[in-house]
Amino acid sequence: MDRRNFLKVVAAGATVIAVNPSLIRGNLYASDGTLYKAYERTQLVDASGNPIKASMLAKEVNYIFNYPYTSTPCMLINLPQATEKDVKLKSDGGEEYVWKSGVGKERTIVAYVAICTHQLTHPTPNESFMAYVPKAVKTMAYDTSGVIVCSSHLSAFDAGAGGKVLGGAATQPLCAVVLEHKDDDTLWAVGILGQDSFHDYFKEFRPELKEFYGGMAEAKKLVSFSVKTVTLSEYTKEIIQY
Amino acid sequence: MKKALKALAAGAVLVGSLSAAIAEKKDVRSELMKEMWVMMEAMEQIQRGGLTSSSEEMKAGVTKLQGTLSSLESEKVKVILPDDQVYAYKFAQKTASMLRLYSDDMILSIETGRMDDALDNYTQLLKQCTSCHIRIRSW
Repeated sequence: MDRRNFLKVVAAGATVIAVNPSLIRGNLYASDGTLYKAYERTQLVDASGNPIKASMLAKEVNYIFNYPYTSTPCMLINLPQATEKDVKLKSDGGEEYVWKSGVGKERTIVAYVAICTHQLTHPTPNESFMAYVPKAVKTMAYDTSGVIVCSSHLSAFDAGAGGKVLGGAATQPLCAVVLEHKDDDTLWAVGILGQDSFHDYFKEFRPELKEFYGGMAEAKKLVSFSVKTVTLSEYTKEIIQY
Repeated sequence: MKKALKALAAGAVLVGSLSAAIAEKKDVRSELMKEMWVMMEAMEQIQRGGLTSSSEEMKAGVTKLQGTLSSLESEKVKVILPDDQVYAYKFAQKTASMLRLYSDDMILSIETGRMDDALDNYTQLLKQCTSCHIRIRSW
Protein backbone atom coordinates (compact mmCIF):
# COMPACT_ATOMS: atom_id res chain seq x y z
CA MET A 1 0.00 0.00 0.00
CA ASP A 2 1.49 3.30 -1.02
CA ARG A 3 1.34 6.46 1.06
CA ARG A 4 -1.67 7.86 -0.81
CA ASN A 5 -3.76 4.69 -0.38
CA PHE A 6 -2.81 4.47 3.28
CA LEU A 7 -4.01 8.02 3.86
CA LYS A 8 -7.25 7.26 2.00
CA VAL A 9 -7.94 4.26 4.27
CA VAL A 10 -7.22 6.29 7.41
CA ALA A 11 -9.44 9.16 6.23
CA ALA A 12 -12.30 6.80 5.33
CA GLY A 13 -12.12 5.09 8.73
CA ALA A 14 -12.06 8.41 10.55
CA THR A 15 -15.09 9.61 8.56
CA VAL A 16 -17.10 6.48 9.35
CA ILE A 17 -16.36 6.79 13.07
CA ALA A 18 -17.07 10.51 13.09
CA VAL A 19 -20.46 9.91 11.47
CA ASN A 20 -21.39 7.06 13.80
CA PRO A 21 -19.31 6.74 16.98
CA SER A 22 -21.34 3.73 18.09
CA LEU A 23 -19.49 1.64 15.51
CA ILE A 24 -16.55 1.57 17.92
CA ARG A 25 -16.69 -1.27 20.38
CA GLY A 26 -14.77 -1.17 23.61
CA ASN A 27 -14.10 1.19 26.47
CA LEU A 28 -13.69 4.82 25.64
CA TYR A 29 -11.97 6.88 28.26
CA ALA A 30 -12.18 10.22 26.50
CA SER A 31 -10.16 13.16 27.64
CA ASP A 32 -13.35 14.83 28.92
CA GLY A 33 -13.74 12.07 31.45
CA THR A 34 -16.46 10.14 29.68
CA LEU A 35 -16.62 6.44 30.60
CA TYR A 36 -18.51 4.81 27.80
CA LYS A 37 -18.78 1.39 26.24
CA ALA A 38 -20.34 1.11 22.80
CA TYR A 39 -22.37 -1.95 21.88
CA GLU A 40 -24.37 -2.98 18.85
CA ARG A 41 -26.67 -0.19 17.72
CA THR A 42 -30.10 -1.66 18.46
CA GLN A 43 -33.57 -0.39 17.67
CA LEU A 44 -36.24 -0.48 20.35
CA VAL A 45 -39.36 -2.24 19.03
CA ASP A 46 -42.66 -3.25 20.60
CA ALA A 47 -43.82 -6.82 21.25
CA SER A 48 -45.03 -7.10 17.64
CA GLY A 49 -41.73 -5.89 16.25
CA ASN A 50 -42.93 -2.40 15.30
CA PRO A 51 -40.52 0.44 16.04
CA ILE A 52 -41.12 2.25 19.31
CA LYS A 53 -41.78 5.92 18.63
CA ALA A 54 -40.62 8.37 21.26
CA SER A 55 -43.81 10.40 21.02
CA MET A 56 -45.92 7.32 21.78
CA LEU A 57 -44.28 6.51 25.10
CA ALA A 58 -46.64 7.03 28.02
CA LYS A 59 -45.36 9.36 30.71
CA GLU A 60 -43.92 7.79 33.87
CA VAL A 61 -44.48 4.20 32.77
CA ASN A 62 -41.72 1.66 33.35
CA TYR A 63 -40.73 0.01 30.05
CA ILE A 64 -38.22 -2.81 29.98
CA PHE A 65 -35.86 -4.02 27.26
CA ASN A 66 -32.82 -6.26 27.49
CA TYR A 67 -29.54 -4.63 26.43
CA PRO A 68 -26.67 -5.05 25.67
CA TYR A 69 -27.03 -8.74 26.53
CA THR A 70 -30.17 -10.83 26.06
CA SER A 71 -30.45 -11.18 29.86
CA THR A 72 -29.55 -7.71 31.15
CA PRO A 73 -32.73 -5.71 31.78
CA CYS A 74 -32.84 -1.98 31.18
CA MET A 75 -35.61 0.46 31.97
CA LEU A 76 -36.93 3.09 29.60
CA ILE A 77 -38.90 5.99 31.08
CA ASN A 78 -40.56 9.05 29.63
CA LEU A 79 -40.24 11.52 32.50
CA PRO A 80 -42.80 14.24 33.21
CA GLN A 81 -40.20 16.99 32.85
CA ALA A 82 -37.00 17.67 30.93
CA THR A 83 -33.89 16.05 32.36
CA GLU A 84 -30.83 17.87 33.60
CA LYS A 85 -27.94 18.42 31.20
CA ASP A 86 -24.26 17.45 31.44
CA VAL A 87 -24.52 15.79 34.84
CA LYS A 88 -21.13 14.94 36.36
CA LEU A 89 -21.10 11.48 37.91
CA LYS A 90 -18.51 9.36 39.66
CA SER A 91 -18.11 5.60 39.74
CA ASP A 92 -17.02 3.70 42.85
CA GLY A 93 -13.63 3.38 41.22
CA GLY A 94 -13.31 7.17 41.28
CA GLU A 95 -13.74 7.61 37.52
CA GLU A 96 -15.65 10.73 36.63
CA TYR A 97 -17.91 10.84 33.61
CA VAL A 98 -20.62 13.01 32.15
CA TRP A 99 -24.20 12.02 31.42
CA LYS A 100 -25.35 14.31 28.62
CA SER A 101 -29.15 14.33 29.03
CA GLY A 102 -32.38 12.57 28.16
CA VAL A 103 -33.50 12.34 24.53
CA GLY A 104 -36.71 13.14 22.67
CA LYS A 105 -38.29 16.42 21.68
CA GLU A 106 -38.44 17.59 25.28
CA ARG A 107 -35.37 15.68 26.57
CA THR A 108 -37.61 13.56 28.79
CA ILE A 109 -36.72 10.05 27.66
CA VAL A 110 -34.10 8.17 29.63
CA ALA A 111 -32.87 4.60 29.88
CA TYR A 112 -30.85 2.87 32.58
CA VAL A 113 -29.56 -0.60 33.21
CA ALA A 114 -32.10 -1.92 35.72
CA ILE A 115 -29.48 -3.67 37.84
CA CYS A 116 -29.05 -2.00 41.21
CA THR A 117 -25.45 -0.99 41.81
CA HIS A 118 -25.71 -2.02 45.48
CA GLN A 119 -26.46 -5.75 45.35
CA LEU A 120 -27.47 -6.26 41.72
CA THR A 121 -31.23 -6.48 42.32
CA HIS A 122 -33.00 -6.54 38.95
CA PRO A 123 -36.38 -7.31 37.42
CA THR A 124 -37.00 -10.96 36.60
CA PRO A 125 -40.01 -12.58 34.93
CA ASN A 126 -41.17 -13.55 38.46
CA GLU A 127 -40.94 -10.21 40.25
CA SER A 128 -39.32 -6.81 40.23
CA PHE A 129 -37.99 -4.85 43.18
CA MET A 130 -36.60 -2.22 40.78
CA ALA A 131 -38.90 0.43 39.34
CA TYR A 132 -39.33 4.08 38.58
CA VAL A 133 -41.82 5.48 41.11
CA PRO A 134 -44.16 8.03 39.47
CA LYS A 135 -44.55 11.44 41.08
CA ALA A 136 -48.03 10.67 42.38
CA VAL A 137 -46.91 7.50 44.21
CA LYS A 138 -45.10 7.58 47.54
CA THR A 139 -41.89 5.71 48.24
CA MET A 140 -40.12 4.90 51.50
CA ALA A 141 -36.74 5.23 49.83
CA TYR A 142 -36.73 8.99 49.35
CA ASP A 143 -38.54 12.17 50.38
CA THR A 144 -39.97 12.79 46.95
CA SER A 145 -41.14 10.51 44.17
CA GLY A 146 -40.32 10.61 40.49
CA VAL A 147 -37.20 8.58 41.26
CA ILE A 148 -35.94 5.08 40.52
CA VAL A 149 -36.14 2.87 43.60
CA CYS A 150 -34.57 -0.44 44.42
CA SER A 151 -36.92 -1.81 47.04
CA SER A 152 -34.48 -4.51 48.15
CA HIS A 153 -32.47 -2.15 50.36
CA LEU A 154 -34.29 1.09 49.54
CA SER A 155 -31.78 2.83 47.31
CA ALA A 156 -33.06 5.78 45.31
CA PHE A 157 -31.63 7.06 42.03
CA ASP A 158 -32.28 10.30 40.16
CA ALA A 159 -34.03 9.36 36.92
CA GLY A 160 -33.54 12.83 35.48
CA ALA A 161 -29.85 13.16 36.30
CA GLY A 162 -28.01 10.15 34.92
CA GLY A 163 -29.07 7.72 37.65
CA LYS A 164 -27.24 9.64 40.39
CA VAL A 165 -27.60 8.13 43.87
CA LEU A 166 -30.08 10.06 46.00
CA GLY A 167 -30.22 7.84 49.04
CA GLY A 168 -30.03 4.36 50.47
CA ALA A 169 -27.32 1.75 50.42
CA ALA A 170 -26.09 2.22 46.84
CA THR A 171 -22.93 4.24 46.37
CA GLN A 172 -22.62 4.27 42.60
CA PRO A 173 -24.99 5.67 39.95
CA LEU A 174 -27.04 3.34 37.82
CA CYS A 175 -25.44 2.68 34.44
CA ALA A 176 -27.16 4.70 31.76
CA VAL A 177 -28.12 3.34 28.37
CA VAL A 178 -27.07 5.84 25.73
CA LEU A 179 -30.01 6.39 23.40
CA GLU A 180 -30.27 7.94 19.97
CA HIS A 181 -33.51 9.59 18.90
CA LYS A 182 -33.77 9.67 15.12
CA ASP A 183 -35.64 12.13 12.90
CA ASP A 184 -38.30 9.47 12.26
CA ASP A 185 -38.98 9.44 16.03
CA THR A 186 -37.44 5.97 16.52
CA LEU A 187 -35.24 5.12 19.48
CA TRP A 188 -31.96 3.24 19.37
CA ALA A 189 -29.70 1.98 22.14
CA VAL A 190 -26.03 2.42 21.28
CA GLY A 191 -23.99 1.92 24.42
CA ILE A 192 -23.62 1.92 28.18
CA LEU A 193 -22.33 4.81 30.25
CA GLY A 194 -20.90 4.24 33.70
CA GLN A 195 -19.22 1.39 35.53
CA ASP A 196 -21.17 -1.71 34.58
CA SER A 197 -21.42 -4.83 36.73
CA PHE A 198 -22.36 -7.30 34.01
CA HIS A 199 -19.51 -9.67 34.88
CA ASP A 200 -20.64 -9.92 38.52
CA TYR A 201 -24.26 -10.19 37.42
CA PHE A 202 -23.52 -13.20 35.19
CA LYS A 203 -21.45 -14.86 37.90
CA GLU A 204 -23.85 -14.20 40.73
CA PHE A 205 -27.10 -15.09 39.00
CA ARG A 206 -25.87 -18.11 37.03
CA PRO A 207 -28.60 -20.49 38.34
CA GLU A 208 -31.33 -17.91 37.78
CA LEU A 209 -30.14 -17.05 34.27
CA LYS A 210 -29.92 -20.74 33.39
CA GLU A 211 -33.52 -21.11 34.51
CA PHE A 212 -34.85 -18.14 32.55
CA TYR A 213 -32.62 -18.23 29.45
CA GLY A 214 -31.83 -21.93 29.14
CA GLY A 215 -28.09 -21.52 29.66
CA MET A 216 -25.32 -19.03 30.17
CA ALA A 217 -24.36 -18.96 26.50
CA GLU A 218 -27.84 -17.71 25.64
CA ALA A 219 -27.89 -15.28 28.58
CA LYS A 220 -24.57 -13.75 27.52
CA LYS A 221 -25.52 -13.25 23.87
CA LEU A 222 -25.30 -9.65 22.74
CA VAL A 223 -28.50 -8.24 21.32
CA SER A 224 -28.43 -6.91 17.79
CA PHE A 225 -30.67 -5.22 15.24
CA SER A 226 -33.70 -4.77 17.48
CA VAL A 227 -34.90 -5.47 21.00
CA LYS A 228 -38.42 -5.94 22.31
CA THR A 229 -39.59 -3.29 24.73
CA VAL A 230 -42.56 -3.98 26.98
CA THR A 231 -44.02 -2.45 30.09
CA LEU A 232 -42.65 -3.67 33.41
CA SER A 233 -46.04 -5.17 34.27
CA GLU A 234 -45.91 -7.19 31.05
CA TYR A 235 -42.32 -8.23 31.75
CA THR A 236 -42.84 -9.44 35.30
CA LYS A 237 -45.57 -11.13 37.33
CA GLU A 238 -45.28 -8.84 40.33
CA ILE A 239 -43.91 -5.36 40.98
CA ILE A 240 -42.82 -4.85 44.56
CA GLN A 241 -42.32 -1.23 45.41
CA TYR A 242 -41.87 0.31 48.84
CA MET B 1 -79.64 -9.47 83.72
CA LYS B 2 -79.89 -11.62 80.61
CA LYS B 3 -78.25 -8.86 78.59
CA ALA B 4 -75.41 -8.58 81.12
CA LEU B 5 -74.81 -12.34 81.00
CA LYS B 6 -74.79 -12.29 77.21
CA ALA B 7 -72.28 -9.42 77.18
CA LEU B 8 -70.13 -11.25 79.73
CA ALA B 9 -70.19 -14.44 77.64
CA ALA B 10 -69.34 -12.52 74.47
CA GLY B 11 -66.49 -10.79 76.29
CA ALA B 12 -65.14 -14.10 77.55
CA VAL B 13 -65.24 -15.57 74.04
CA LEU B 14 -63.45 -12.50 72.67
CA VAL B 15 -60.73 -12.59 75.33
CA GLY B 16 -60.35 -16.32 74.83
CA SER B 17 -59.92 -16.09 71.08
CA LEU B 18 -57.60 -13.11 71.43
CA SER B 19 -55.30 -14.93 73.82
CA ALA B 20 -55.43 -18.00 71.58
CA ALA B 21 -54.40 -15.88 68.63
CA ILE B 22 -51.54 -14.33 70.63
CA ALA B 23 -50.42 -17.77 71.80
CA GLU B 24 -50.55 -19.07 68.24
CA LYS B 25 -48.51 -16.09 67.03
CA LYS B 26 -45.96 -16.77 69.78
CA ASP B 27 -45.80 -20.45 68.75
CA VAL B 28 -45.22 -19.58 65.11
CA ARG B 29 -42.62 -17.02 66.14
CA SER B 30 -40.68 -19.44 68.34
CA GLU B 31 -40.95 -22.12 65.66
CA LEU B 32 -39.49 -19.73 63.09
CA MET B 33 -36.76 -18.57 65.45
CA LYS B 34 -35.77 -22.22 65.93
CA GLU B 35 -35.66 -22.62 62.16
CA MET B 36 -33.32 -19.65 61.92
CA TRP B 37 -30.92 -21.47 64.25
CA VAL B 38 -31.23 -24.62 62.14
CA MET B 39 -30.50 -22.51 59.09
CA MET B 40 -27.35 -21.20 60.72
CA GLU B 41 -26.24 -24.74 61.60
CA ALA B 42 -26.95 -25.81 58.01
CA MET B 43 -24.76 -23.02 56.68
CA GLU B 44 -21.96 -24.03 59.06
CA GLN B 45 -22.31 -27.63 57.92
CA ILE B 46 -22.10 -26.67 54.24
CA GLN B 47 -19.02 -24.56 54.93
CA ARG B 48 -17.39 -27.37 56.93
CA GLY B 49 -18.15 -29.80 54.11
CA GLY B 50 -16.67 -27.43 51.56
CA LEU B 51 -13.52 -26.80 53.54
CA THR B 52 -12.93 -30.48 54.33
CA SER B 53 -13.87 -31.67 50.82
CA SER B 54 -16.80 -33.64 52.12
CA SER B 55 -19.51 -33.44 49.50
CA GLU B 56 -21.74 -35.63 51.66
CA GLU B 57 -21.60 -33.12 54.49
CA MET B 58 -22.35 -30.31 52.06
CA LYS B 59 -25.36 -32.18 50.73
CA ALA B 60 -26.55 -32.91 54.28
CA GLY B 61 -26.25 -29.19 55.04
CA VAL B 62 -28.32 -28.36 51.96
CA THR B 63 -31.03 -30.83 52.99
CA LYS B 64 -31.11 -29.24 56.45
CA LEU B 65 -31.25 -25.74 54.96
CA GLN B 66 -34.03 -26.58 52.54
CA GLY B 67 -36.06 -28.06 55.39
CA THR B 68 -36.32 -24.57 56.87
CA LEU B 69 -37.39 -22.69 53.78
CA SER B 70 -41.10 -23.41 53.49
CA SER B 71 -42.07 -21.14 56.39
CA LEU B 72 -39.89 -18.34 55.04
CA GLU B 73 -41.49 -18.75 51.64
CA SER B 74 -44.98 -18.46 53.14
CA GLU B 75 -46.60 -15.43 54.77
CA LYS B 76 -45.67 -16.87 58.18
CA VAL B 77 -42.42 -14.98 57.82
CA LYS B 78 -44.27 -11.78 58.78
CA VAL B 79 -44.34 -12.99 62.38
CA ILE B 80 -40.58 -12.84 62.90
CA LEU B 81 -39.99 -9.56 61.11
CA PRO B 82 -39.58 -6.47 63.27
CA ASP B 83 -42.81 -4.42 63.38
CA ASP B 84 -41.39 -1.71 61.14
CA GLN B 85 -40.30 -4.27 58.56
CA VAL B 86 -43.38 -6.48 58.32
CA TYR B 87 -44.31 -4.76 55.07
CA ALA B 88 -41.08 -6.08 53.55
CA TYR B 89 -42.01 -9.75 53.90
CA LYS B 90 -41.89 -10.15 50.12
CA PHE B 91 -38.18 -9.41 50.28
CA ALA B 92 -37.77 -12.24 52.81
CA GLN B 93 -39.79 -14.51 50.53
CA LYS B 94 -37.58 -13.58 47.59
CA THR B 95 -34.52 -14.34 49.72
CA ALA B 96 -35.95 -17.76 50.58
CA SER B 97 -36.57 -18.53 46.91
CA MET B 98 -32.99 -17.52 46.07
CA LEU B 99 -31.71 -19.76 48.89
CA ARG B 100 -33.62 -22.63 47.32
CA LEU B 101 -32.28 -21.81 43.85
CA TYR B 102 -28.63 -21.63 44.96
CA SER B 103 -28.87 -24.72 47.15
CA ASP B 104 -30.48 -26.72 44.33
CA ASP B 105 -27.68 -25.59 42.06
CA MET B 106 -25.13 -26.54 44.71
CA ILE B 107 -26.38 -30.14 44.69
CA LEU B 108 -26.17 -30.17 40.89
CA SER B 109 -22.65 -28.73 41.03
CA ILE B 110 -21.52 -31.32 43.58
CA GLU B 111 -23.02 -34.17 41.59
CA THR B 112 -21.29 -33.07 38.41
CA GLY B 113 -17.97 -32.60 40.19
CA ARG B 114 -17.90 -28.80 39.83
CA MET B 115 -16.78 -28.04 43.36
CA ASP B 116 -15.71 -24.50 42.49
CA ASP B 117 -19.28 -23.77 41.40
CA ALA B 118 -20.56 -25.43 44.58
CA LEU B 119 -18.40 -23.12 46.69
CA ASP B 120 -19.60 -20.16 44.62
CA ASN B 121 -23.13 -21.26 45.50
CA TYR B 122 -22.17 -21.26 49.18
CA THR B 123 -20.93 -17.66 48.81
CA GLN B 124 -24.24 -16.70 47.25
CA LEU B 125 -26.21 -18.45 50.00
CA LEU B 126 -24.28 -16.51 52.61
CA LYS B 127 -24.84 -13.30 50.66
CA GLN B 128 -28.58 -13.92 50.66
CA CYS B 129 -28.52 -14.37 54.44
CA THR B 130 -26.58 -11.15 55.02
CA SER B 131 -28.65 -9.22 52.48
CA CYS B 132 -31.88 -10.08 54.29
CA HIS B 133 -30.43 -9.37 57.74
CA ILE B 134 -29.13 -5.99 56.52
CA ARG B 135 -32.62 -5.22 55.28
CA ILE B 136 -34.64 -6.26 58.30
CA ARG B 137 -32.30 -4.60 60.78
CA SER B 138 -32.11 -1.41 58.70
CA TRP B 139 -28.29 -1.50 58.82
